[in-house]
Amino acid sequence: MSAVPAPSRRPVARPVERRRAHLRVVAEPRPRHTLRYALLYLVLAGATVFGAVSLNALAAGDAVAAHQLEQRVVTAERDYAMLVAEVARLEDPARIRAAALELGMVPAGSVRFLVVDRTLPADGVTPDLVATGNEATDPLKPVLSVEK
Amino acid sequence: MLLLFVLLFGIVGWRLVDLQVVDAEELADRGVRQRSRTIELPGRRGRVYDREGDVLVTSVDSATIYADPRAYRSGETPDGTAKPPAAHAAEVADVLAPLVGRDVADLRAALERDAHFVYVARQLDWELGQRIMDLELPGIGLLTEPKRVYPAGPLAGQILGFTGIDGAGLHGLELQHDDILHGTPGQLVMEGAPGGLSIASGARELRPPVPGTDLVLTIDREIQSAAEAAALRAIEEFDAVGASVVVLEVGTGDVLAMASEPGYDPNDVSGSVQANWRNRAVTDVFEPGSVQKALTAAAAIEEGVVSPTTPMVVDDRIQVGSKTFKDSHDHPVEHITFAEVMETSSNVGTIQVAQALGKERLDRYLRDFGYGSRLGTGFPGESHGLLMPVESWWNTSLPTIAIGQGVAVTLLQTAHAYATIANDGVATQPRILRGTVGEDGRLTPADPSPTERIISSGTSRQVREMLARVVSGERGTGKTAQVPGYAVAGKTGTARKPSADARGYSGEYVASFVGFAPVEDPKLVVAVMVDEPYPIWGGVVAAPVFQEVLEFALKHRKVPPTEPNASLADALTEAALQEALADAQLEGPATAADEPASPPVGAAAGGDGAPVAEP
Repeated sequence: MSAVPAPSRRPVARPVERRRAHLRVVAEPRPRHTLRYALLYLVLAGATVFGAVSLNALAAGDAVAAHQLEQRVVTAERDYAMLVAEVARLEDPARIRAAALELGMVPAGSVRFLVVDRTLPADGVTPDLVATGNEATDPLKPVLSVEK
Repeated sequence: MLLLFVLLFGIVGWRLVDLQVVDAEELADRGVRQRSRTIELPGRRGRVYDREGDVLVTSVDSATIYADPRAYRSGETPDGTAKPPAAHAAEVADVLAPLVGRDVADLRAALERDAHFVYVARQLDWELGQRIMDLELPGIGLLTEPKRVYPAGPLAGQILGFTGIDGAGLHGLELQHDDILHGTPGQLVMEGAPGGLSIASGARELRPPVPGTDLVLTIDREIQSAAEAAALRAIEEFDAVGASVVVLEVGTGDVLAMASEPGYDPNDVSGSVQANWRNRAVTDVFEPGSVQKALTAAAAIEEGVVSPTTPMVVDDRIQVGSKTFKDSHDHPVEHITFAEVMETSSNVGTIQVAQALGKERLDRYLRDFGYGSRLGTGFPGESHGLLMPVESWWNTSLPTIAIGQGVAVTLLQTAHAYATIANDGVATQPRILRGTVGEDGRLTPADPSPTERIISSGTSRQVREMLARVVSGERGTGKTAQVPGYAVAGKTGTARKPSADARGYSGEYVASFVGFAPVEDPKLVVAVMVDEPYPIWGGVVAAPVFQEVLEFALKHRKVPPTEPNASLADALTEAALQEALADAQLEGPATAADEPASPPVGAAAGGDGAPVAEP
């Protein structure tokens, strides 16, 4: 009996089994929703664009309103300056005198200063009842009213 | 095929690099220039107010009409298409010329010029500009320009001055205070759409304009107007070539009025006479004549040379060197006091006192009173007058100068000297600027005028009493200066005018009157000068003007009267009588006294220092 070498018991590669040794339970892969993401993206993008356009339109509308207001301010300032000049022209003493003479008025005679020899109704009025002196009383002359 | 793609992509890529890298900076600049607009924001020029806050000068928007002559020529569009003219220049000129007040041919020539921009008319009324724009004429546009306006026209024209069409001060206070009146223009840089609207999200950079400072003058508009009216009436009534009036407030040195007639309207400078632009009360000098005697008297009293009660022996003429000086009328030798010398305006008596005073002391006092130097108002063209150095005086200079000849002063200098006497001997520098109003709208008062004592209070009082006799005394030369209810002091003056083109004097005269009221506590000084009047006498010509202005000013400034008041019952009775009299006069026929050209009361009885011999 000859010795027959025993067949090599070299292990046969069993990759599957080896992998199986590392197998683990995994969850079922989720289904991909590419279409949903695309739609969502489009909606967001659309909303962003719409919002931006809307805001810009509102801003443009406000710009128009602001422009109109600025024009009104310019016009009002122009009118005010012209009215100031017109008031000053109408207050010109020479013009008033000429107009009065044209209306048939005559210059007043000498002013009389009298000795008041009896009590008058206004004698009891105290200065603080007449005016405090702190407020601007003449809207046409705000510059000097306080001091006056 | 591949090669074609590569070629096309290469071209596109090269263009991209060209635009984004090579020309990127220039293109970015061009983009900014296209949408960026710079708007100049004019700085409002400051207003000028009178002392009560009434507007004397302001600025309003005006319409400047311009044309683009290219609209009236055939041209080409950028793509080479022929473009006919939008209108004919002749037609546009026909429509515009009468509206803007230009000659049709002249305007048509302007519209046909080879230019992109021509002015059609500048600084028109805003309403007129709007009416022109409503016509929608091709090539015609409107610019807004600030325009200086003087609402009261000629009122205080020589004081206020005027500006050029570009708003820069050229004359008067407009020139003197141009540095604070003019505003600093601002700038607005913004991104705008072609239609002119700003881009809301665009860049916006604002540099706000700084408005000019407002001026508040010491001038009182009402008194100024009354002074101008009185001066104008004097010119008409006495056929004079000019008249000036100065009103000063005693103590503060405030110039309440400074009128010179004939005047001009600063709104129409081009249509005015240039000689009338001068504020003659500070730019022109004249020989004061007898009004000077008050200063000679003040110096003599202050130095103890004489007193009002000093008895004097006064002949009607006096010989000094080779010259004979005479009184206004012949009279025998008189034994009178120095106060009477002043009352009668005696040249001889004044010269006697001046000789006792001496030329050095007279010169010193005159200079202390403000003669020979500017008063410091800073007004453009202010004259310092003429007072020769005492070393250069001739032997006849002392008597000549003592009676107000051989010396030249401005009317403001004369008023200032009398204000010193009225102010207990303390000189206060005249001022015309009361304060300024800045952006906060608050009045910043000007510094008080500097003061200096010239003569003692006692001397001042004695001179005041002497001057009161000139107006109220029996022999006074200034009776027509009396103001009912007030004690008035003053002095008449009648002086020969130096010849303009030869040595010596011309045959013309200057009549003057300077005074103040109330005598005991003076509030106002009024100085009047009438140039070349007929008759010539200060008491006849200038004193009534003084009286009219002073009476108005005293009442307007609410200065209480000094003489005893009437009781209420007496006043009511008197008023009823006057009313009945006035009614009767209105109903009755006109009399000679109603004529405005009638001479003032006392005209025939007036008299003053007569012309003196030439020095």
